[in-house]
Amino acid sequence: MNQNLDPKNAAARAESASKIYGSGENEVRALDNVTVSFERGKFSAIMGPSGSGKSTLMHILAGLDALTSGKVFIGDVDLSTLNDKEITKLRREKVGFVFQSFNLIPTLDAYENITLPLSLGKRDGDETWINQVIDTISLADRLEHRPSELSGGQQQRVAVARALATRPEIIFADEPTGNLDSKSGTDILTFMRLAVTELGQTIVMVTHDAVWASYADRIVFLSDGHVAGEMSNPSPEKVLEYLKHLGD
Amino acid sequence: MFRLSLKMTLARKGRLLLTSLAIILGTSFLSGTTIFSDTINSTFDRLFTDVFRDIDAYVRSTDSVDTGFGEQWAPSPIEALDTILGVKGVSAAVGDMQSYARVIGKDGEPLGEDQGPPTFGGIASESVAGLWNVDSGRLPVGSDEVMLDRATAEAGEFVVGDKVRVTALSGSREFTLVGVANYGDISSPGGATFALFDQPTASEFLLKPGFVDAFLVQGDGTLSDEELAKAIDAALPKSAKLETLTGAEITEETTSQIKTVLGFFTTFLTAFSFIALGIGCFVIYNVFSITAAQRQRESALLRAIGASRRQVTISLLVEALIVGLLGSIIGFVSGIGLSRLLSALLNAVGLEIPTTGLTIATNAITRIVLIGTIVTVLSAILPALRSGRVPPLAAMRDTVLDTVPKLGRRILVGLILIVLGAIGLLAALNGARVAILGLGVLGVFAGVLVLGPAFSKPVAMLLGKPVASLRGVTGSMSRQNAARNPKRTARTAAPVLIGVALVTAFTALAASVKNEIRGTIGASFRGDFALSVNSRGFGGIPTSVTDKIKVLPEVSRATGVGFIAAKVGDESPFILVFDPKTADGLYEFEMVEGAQTDLGDDEILVEADKAVEKNLVVGSSVQVTLIDGSSKQLKVAGTYKNAYGNYAVSRELFADSTSPLFDSFVYIRVASGADNDAAEKAISTVSSDLGIGTLESRDAYIDSQAAQVDQFLALIYGLLFLSVIIAIVGIIITLLLSVFERKREIGLLRAVGMTRSQVRMMVRWESVITSLFGAVTGVVLGVLTGMVIVISLNDSGFSAFTLPIANTITILIGAFIIGVVAAVFPAWRATRTEIISAIASA
Repeated sequence: MNQNLDPKNAAARAESASKIYGSGENEVRALDNVTVSFERGKFSAIMGPSGSGKSTLMHILAGLDALTSGKVFIGDVDLSTLNDKEITKLRREKVGFVFQSFNLIPTLDAYENITLPLSLGKRDGDETWINQVIDTISLADRLEHRPSELSGGQQQRVAVARALATRPEIIFADEPTGNLDSKSGTDILTFMRLAVTELGQTIVMVTHDAVWASYADRIVFLSDGHVAGEMSNPSPEKVLEYLKHLGD
Repeated sequence: MFRLSLKMTLARKGRLLLTSLAIILGTSFLSGTTIFSDTINSTFDRLFTDVFRDIDAYVRSTDSVDTGFGEQWAPSPIEALDTILGVKGVSAAVGDMQSYARVIGKDGEPLGEDQGPPTFGGIASESVAGLWNVDSGRLPVGSDEVMLDRATAEAGEFVVGDKVRVTALSGSREFTLVGVANYGDISSPGGATFALFDQPTASEFLLKPGFVDAFLVQGDGTLSDEELAKAIDAALPKSAKLETLTGAEITEETTSQIKTVLGFFTTFLTAFSFIALGIGCFVIYNVFSITAAQRQRESALLRAIGASRRQVTISLLVEALIVGLLGSIIGFVSGIGLSRLLSALLNAVGLEIPTTGLTIATNAITRIVLIGTIVTVLSAILPALRSGRVPPLAAMRDTVLDTVPKLGRRILVGLILIVLGAIGLLAALNGARVAILGLGVLGVFAGVLVLGPAFSKPVAMLLGKPVASLRGVTGSMSRQNAARNPKRTARTAAPVLIGVALVTAFTALAASVKNEIRGTIGASFRGDFALSVNSRGFGGIPTSVTDKIKVLPEVSRATGVGFIAAKVGDESPFILVFDPKTADGLYEFEMVEGAQTDLGDDEILVEADKAVEKNLVVGSSVQVTLIDGSSKQLKVAGTYKNAYGNYAVSRELFADSTSPLFDSFVYIRVASGADNDAAEKAISTVSSDLGIGTLESRDAYIDSQAAQVDQFLALIYGLLFLSVIIAIVGIIITLLLSVFERKREIGLLRAVGMTRSQVRMMVRWESVITSLFGAVTGVVLGVLTGMVIVISLNDSGFSAFTLPIANTITILIGAFIIGVVAAVFPAWRATRTEIISAIASA
């Protein structure tokens, strides 16, 4: 277990995090006293069956939703101490996002979408870095295209580039390959892997696919709002084997 | 299917509310004006029925002139009263008068409004046949006593025993207030002021000694009203030229006369409420179009599980029917409040119109609910047909929100309409009928509205350019959002476009009229000072005042100009009356032929175009009949251009007439060597004795005459205000629906770091760009329309047109503010977008 990682090395972590929806008979414990850390410079995956709380955990860690109790940190910043404006600024500067679908603003072209978080913060960003990112996703010739003129795979690549553009503390990816064919999915995962290995970024990905999860350095398994276990250096076979016994 | 529609309609409460809002606003103004005019009408019905309750017969002259605001009858000699009293069956009879008299307040300013309800002088009689009931004090007797109606006494803070100055035909005099009276049982009829005297004083002071307007008669009950009227008619000599009406007839006539006057007013209001409803149509159409697009999946699902096109279309129409019915009913009810507001508003600007109780005619309810519902269903037809055409497969696909409209046919239809409209306008420019001008304007408006989606994108992009460069990526997104759905932008901006175009056209028209007034007065008025009143045709400055001014040592000359209704040939225009002896060099016509000097009492001047229209040339003769019935053949002595009125006659013509002739303007030249200030002081002692009229220097006078147009313009602005509100509501609704539609986009933006204030800014600028798009197009359209109208109505051609630059800028700033205001609520809603549920709605 790697739950008690040195806080200094964690890009994001949750301490006794609980999230409860509704009350009384309708009460749902989406997260129940979860403590977990995600190491800087690593590619982590969160797995679990539907309703296990994996998306909720990601939303909480990313500052998109507030906890019922417990604490969440991005780097060493306690998110519960921030107001909406400060959290927004933190998301803009320290967090990157890749969602399953609808990742891009339809009225902006690819380049504008990539630099959106920078433009929103009225920053120019690191041009060499951005060019490097664009090179890596090999979409340099499509930068002036609107999302509607790009394929699904290309759209997701732009989304990953946007997540990287600010050189954030951490990138959250929520089923980034969910809507893609396996070729495009492989492209995206390879690219994300590259971003961690070559560019030194930190990525946390939510997925339910054992093959995609095996691209990660480490997998955290969630079940019924609890951390059910974890696995380092996974392979698809090991993951499938583990998942079979998860309910036991 | 009907039950399904009903269920689906009620399930979407937010959408229901938004759609109904447009209908409610559109119908409430219509309902407000309808209830308002119904209430006025029934109030007057009751009032006159009550006032004439004891009157069995009414005797008046057979000679009359139609002034355009009702007939004006010739005075009747008082001797006829003896004849009437001698008729068997008559128990009482009195003279009646409704002449001009202005009560001057304690502060020296006249009571009542210059252009408001009339200010009357009349006879106070103790006879049961009289119309007045003494409230306090007693009836006036003799040449220095007066009685006032209660409302006027209260407004002037007069109590019995006070001195009251009254100005009328024969001049200005001070009376002692001896009594206060009610008209029937109300304090004042319709906000009019009344100064009442005994009959000889009234005749001498208000009209001409020995004359009254009419006689009120009460029978002794032995004869029916009809028999009584016949008996009186039989007793009156033919030469007296008098006729007798029954009590019922005079009640009916007075009521309908008041209704005619009020009719202009209510027609005016109704016209503007229909404009408001028309603008509401656009909003309704827009809302249905957007919601139809948003529920494309729902429609497709219905199609997929076996609903026919017809059924899908009908289900939307049923929704329109329900919403229309509901909205119209609520609109009708809120119209009741609006009608109260309307009368409060009119009271506040001095147009006191009595409304007792509240009259809601059953046919008004049916009519308004029917109009509202039909309008709603009609507005929903196109979106409903479009919904029906959704392929069942669309249920499986993601909804396509940004549609690229097919522009080909639209551009064609739009251009055809504009060309047809332009042909109409060109025809109007070359002297075609005003109706053609109207159709031309309508054609161009319709064409521009049809073309809207074709140019809304480039124009919105252009207008958004500064926003994008000033506000960075947020501004850039506002710009793109305003341009991304050209149809929607065009439809949302349409109400602003129509409102702004109307305002601009009226403003341009007013500016040009003002310029023309300046030109006309500047050319004709050559003096140093002018004493003027605003009322034309009813009352004004007693002609004796000119003589008083003339003899002042500081004044070299003074001349009066007045207007009076008369029959000229087959028309009854207001004709201009001037004094040829004193007018030279002070009031000069721009003569085309002939001269104004030495115009005799058997001669007339005719406006040049009118002369052509009526086939009159110098030397032809024309029949002129004055209000008192006296008729004369006048010889055309000349033609002129650019003056008030199409005919001008000499004052001499009225020397022996009982027609009440007043001056509207007195033009004054200061004596050479006399100081202007001293002259002004000297003249003002005369005019302040008078209590009415404004004394101004030449420049100030020209300015204030031109400024009168502004009053009319202010009324137009006021009435278009409701259209502006509907336009704002239209933008609010569209923005709310757009924000709802772009929920995921906003959620995504928030997730990647857009702050709430940036979200607000994004929505706000989109709104401003949309509103400005409407305003800019509207200004262009309005200026062109105004220009064509001015040129076609004016023979001096293009030079008559004045571009109201300052007003145009104000309008654009107004549109900017409309955009900002309309965005407040939608922007707030946008900031409340739940990020997670927005993203999760994938």
